[in-house]
Amino acid sequence: MLTMNNVSKIYQTNSVQTHALRDFSLTVNEGEFIAVTGPSGSGKTTFLNIAGLLEPFTSGQYTLDGVDIGGLSDNETADLRNQKIGYIFQGFNLIPDLNLYENVEVPLRYRGIAAKERKIRIEQCLEQVGLASRAKHLPQQLSGGQQQRVAIARALAGKPRFLLADEPTGNLDSLMARQVMELLEEINKNGATIVMVTHDAELARRAPRNIQVVDGQLADFTLYQGKPTVTATRAEEAVVASGV
Amino acid sequence: MLDIKPIFNAIRRSKIGAVLLLLQIALTMAIVSNAAFMINDHVSYLREDTGFPEKEIFSLSVMTFGKDRSLSQQAELDETMIRSLPGVIDASLTQAIPLSGGGSSSSVRLKPSPEKSKSISVPYYYMDEHGLNTFGIKLLEGRNFRPEEIIVGNDFTGNGPNTVIVSQALADALFPDGGALGETVYLKNRPLEIIGIVGTMKSPWPNGMRDKTTAIVPFMDVQNYQHILVRTDKTERANIMANIEQNMLDVYDKRVIINVDGLDKTKENYDSTDVLMMRMLIVLVVILLLVTALGIFGLTQFNISKRTKQIGTRRALGARKSAIVRYFLVENTMVCIAGLLIGGIAAVVLGDVMMKSYSISSLEPEFILGTAVFIFVMSIVAVIFPAMRAANISPSIATRSI
Amino acid sequence: MFLHYIDLSWRSIKRTPVISFLMVFAIAIGIGLTMTSLSVYHMMSMDPIPHKSGAIFYPQLNIMDDGSEWHSSDNLPYQLTYQDAVNLYNADIPVPKSPSFRSGFSVHLNSPDVKPTMEPARLVNREFFTIFDRPFIYGAPWSLNSQDTHEYVAVISEKINNRLFAGENSVGQHIYLDNNSYRIVGVTANWKHHVKYYDVNNGAFNSSEQLYIPFGIGALEEITTWGNLNGWKHEALKNYQDLMHSEHVWVQFWVQLNSEDEKQQFTNFLMSYMEDQREKGRFNRQTLEYKLRNVTEWLEYNNVVSEDNRILVGLSFMFLLVCVSNILGLLLAKFLKRAPEVGVRRALGASKRHIFAQHIVEVSVIGLAGGLLGIVIAQIGLWGIRVTNSYYDALATMDVSMLLAAPIIALVASFLAGLYPAWLVCRTQPAIYLKSQ
Repeated sequence: MLTMNNVSKIYQTNSVQTHALRDFSLTVNEGEFIAVTGPSGSGKTTFLNIAGLLEPFTSGQYTLDGVDIGGLSDNETADLRNQKIGYIFQGFNLIPDLNLYENVEVPLRYRGIAAKERKIRIEQCLEQVGLASRAKHLPQQLSGGQQQRVAIARALAGKPRFLLADEPTGNLDSLMARQVMELLEEINKNGATIVMVTHDAELARRAPRNIQVVDGQLADFTLYQGKPTVTATRAEEAVVASGV
Repeated sequence: MLDIKPIFNAIRRSKIGAVLLLLQIALTMAIVSNAAFMINDHVSYLREDTGFPEKEIFSLSVMTFGKDRSLSQQAELDETMIRSLPGVIDASLTQAIPLSGGGSSSSVRLKPSPEKSKSISVPYYYMDEHGLNTFGIKLLEGRNFRPEEIIVGNDFTGNGPNTVIVSQALADALFPDGGALGETVYLKNRPLEIIGIVGTMKSPWPNGMRDKTTAIVPFMDVQNYQHILVRTDKTERANIMANIEQNMLDVYDKRVIINVDGLDKTKENYDSTDVLMMRMLIVLVVILLLVTALGIFGLTQFNISKRTKQIGTRRALGARKSAIVRYFLVENTMVCIAGLLIGGIAAVVLGDVMMKSYSISSLEPEFILGTAVFIFVMSIVAVIFPAMRAANISPSIATRSI
Repeated sequence: MFLHYIDLSWRSIKRTPVISFLMVFAIAIGIGLTMTSLSVYHMMSMDPIPHKSGAIFYPQLNIMDDGSEWHSSDNLPYQLTYQDAVNLYNADIPVPKSPSFRSGFSVHLNSPDVKPTMEPARLVNREFFTIFDRPFIYGAPWSLNSQDTHEYVAVISEKINNRLFAGENSVGQHIYLDNNSYRIVGVTANWKHHVKYYDVNNGAFNSSEQLYIPFGIGALEEITTWGNLNGWKHEALKNYQDLMHSEHVWVQFWVQLNSEDEKQQFTNFLMSYMEDQREKGRFNRQTLEYKLRNVTEWLEYNNVVSEDNRILVGLSFMFLLVCVSNILGLLLAKFLKRAPEVGVRRALGASKRHIFAQHIVEVSVIGLAGGLLGIVIAQIGLWGIRVTNSYYDALATMDVSMLLAAPIIALVASFLAGLYPAWLVCRTQPAIYLKSQ
């Protein structure tokens, strides 16, 4: 699905060179769910941005779904983003002027899908995240968790094979975080490949594969096969309850 | 210290905003200084004394179609009738109405043609000995015409008048060293003795020819289309004007009386294009200044909103309110001065272009300077309010995110 | 997608009503002022007779002896002498041509019921109506025979016909000009023109004459011109005969030349005429000079568009530029504030072109609204002009082309203001704005 070979990213300001990524190599297979962790400023987000074609890289080779990204024009990367990749952000990044329906519609419009087909897909996706009844609401009328679910619906609407999430639960309390996580797991089960950046170790552990980025390089990776225990989940709930 | 260097760096970094402001100020400067100059030119022309008591005088035109009377005899009768009307001070036939835009002019020379001599273009009035009193113009030197000096006829050169009354401007133009009174000048090759000199007496087209070199010639060539000028008591004028047509037709009815107009109205009509141009320029200047002021206000506001957090941080680090206000004022001043400098050059260039293409005199530097000062003050006013508001930004904003 | 962009623009405008209104208002004010002065300019400079302005010519002859100067830009008198006008008319060249000058009469029906009025009149030959395509409501121009035998005939305007004959067919009736009776041969439609192009002597925006009588009557009745009478050397003018034979100029002349051949033929004639006259003692000069200008060139040459107006048009376009730079600033602020949203759209697959189009559409919507509001402002401005100066009644109006020009100029102005901000915002790197603080 995704192969990075010695990818480097250098930010050049007037006098300072910053290596955000150095010789970063990684292969992600179809259907994987990967959690990326690492300390602040380690290059997690840079990695995610490059993986998601939001940022060009300085050197190295990156192949996504068999397509070599290095030589693509801006229009071509825009199309690839539109067709193959879905994004979920920490800040949800819903467009405040558009209601839920219209927010989910945005990527479909850019893909040039006809209105009828759009309607079916949008309703389906909103249904999937449990917000079909609130299609006409504006983002600011919803809670953080609901907003994130809309953002997920928007990411799913284009039926992407590759889902990138940057701290998807960072702005949410743990109950909502768990709901979002469950949603992602479900999406993964349905076949989408997911790469999620997080610094929540608990959350990361729920992902089948963990990688760690330190100082712009892949530190190590461990396979975590175990499933979270029910008691652990209960404990989280208890924390939430006592906090309220 | 005014912290010019960091501000200058900040301006350099937010290039586009500064460039826009600079461009606007420069353009405004170029337009306003030239427009103000033109407005001033129009205003000073419109305010000029014409020499005539405009509110006391009115004119009428007579178109005679009856052929059973001698036109010159009829004119005599008309004049006598009008002068006898209560409230009328005096009346005189004339071939041209002052300030109306239509009349005659010829060159006045010091020697008969074809001899070479000084020659000045002179709009003139054919009037009799009542002319001066009808005009309401006082003699500065010399005397009025005597009745026997008034020549009635159509052969000006062969059997025309021998005297002339000239305006001071014409006397000065012909005889710069003085002593015009008593001298002989040539109009249509006929020698005329200057017997009187009057002060300001504007021509029929005062805007076309601003030299005010005019003359009254004691000659009556009565045509079937003829003008009569009447001076009345100011309060009686409207009344007399209302009845004049009937009065004239009562004397003789094979004619049409038209254009009974007060001289103030005639002047207003004649000047209406100038008034219009002046008004349009004023509207342009006022709106332009307003738009520019709003532009400066808006850009400052935008700069402040972009730097809200920065200002809060500065405040948290101990900057006084006055320092914040000063920061924005200095920033504005630097851009403004640069804009005014460029605008000043642009104003000179624009004025030069207009002077070359049009009949506009060259832009006087006072106008550039005056405009610059005005725009500068205006920009300070436009900046000071948003800047004071910026100074009120709470230092706590620095600690808050977003 | 286009409609969607318009929908987005509308939402964006609604979201920031103040800044949007300011932008619309800035364009509207700029367009309003520009269109006000441009409309007057347009009316002044409009081709008055588009289908044949290139075929109607005005000849000028340099009649002056060497050493004399005229106050025109090319040292040629603006009008012809009476004798030259008559000779040119009588030239044996079969093209429509006519001398003409403006005068006036007291007009009446020689009955006590109708009060005499003063009316401006034009003395022309019958070809004048052909040259300028004057339509007749009743009758026709006088015949060649009437003209040659100096019959007292007249063509009156619709306006006079309505007043004196209640709009009935008055052909064959008589009308009195001063104390002479003229037989009416035709009634022409009122002549509506913005520029009185066939006689700019008495002011290029004067009203047209309401009466036409044969040029030849002028000599019989000693009719003097109501226009300019200029001389270049001293001549004693004791009577009308003197005037007719003088070197004073006061007659205008028009000739219709449909082809280059005809034009060539006419210019050849002018040259040979002047040579002939030189032999007879006139045109005492080294080089004989003439000019043959068509209507468009003639109006240009006479500076029909006033200087004031040209200056105002120039200044108002500069003013528009100030408005544009103002809007540019506002758009920049507005669009850059929206960069995060653009980042999201880019991430969701919008190409630069999508983003650019979206913003340009928004700019256009603002520009168009500004243009429409600008028309309203221009109408107020033009109304102000008409109130200030009745001379501009017919000039201070917007015709269809100006009404169309307003939104187009507004769009161009808004593109000028919007291109840079739109370009800047479509270059937004999506990644920067996606990570929230």
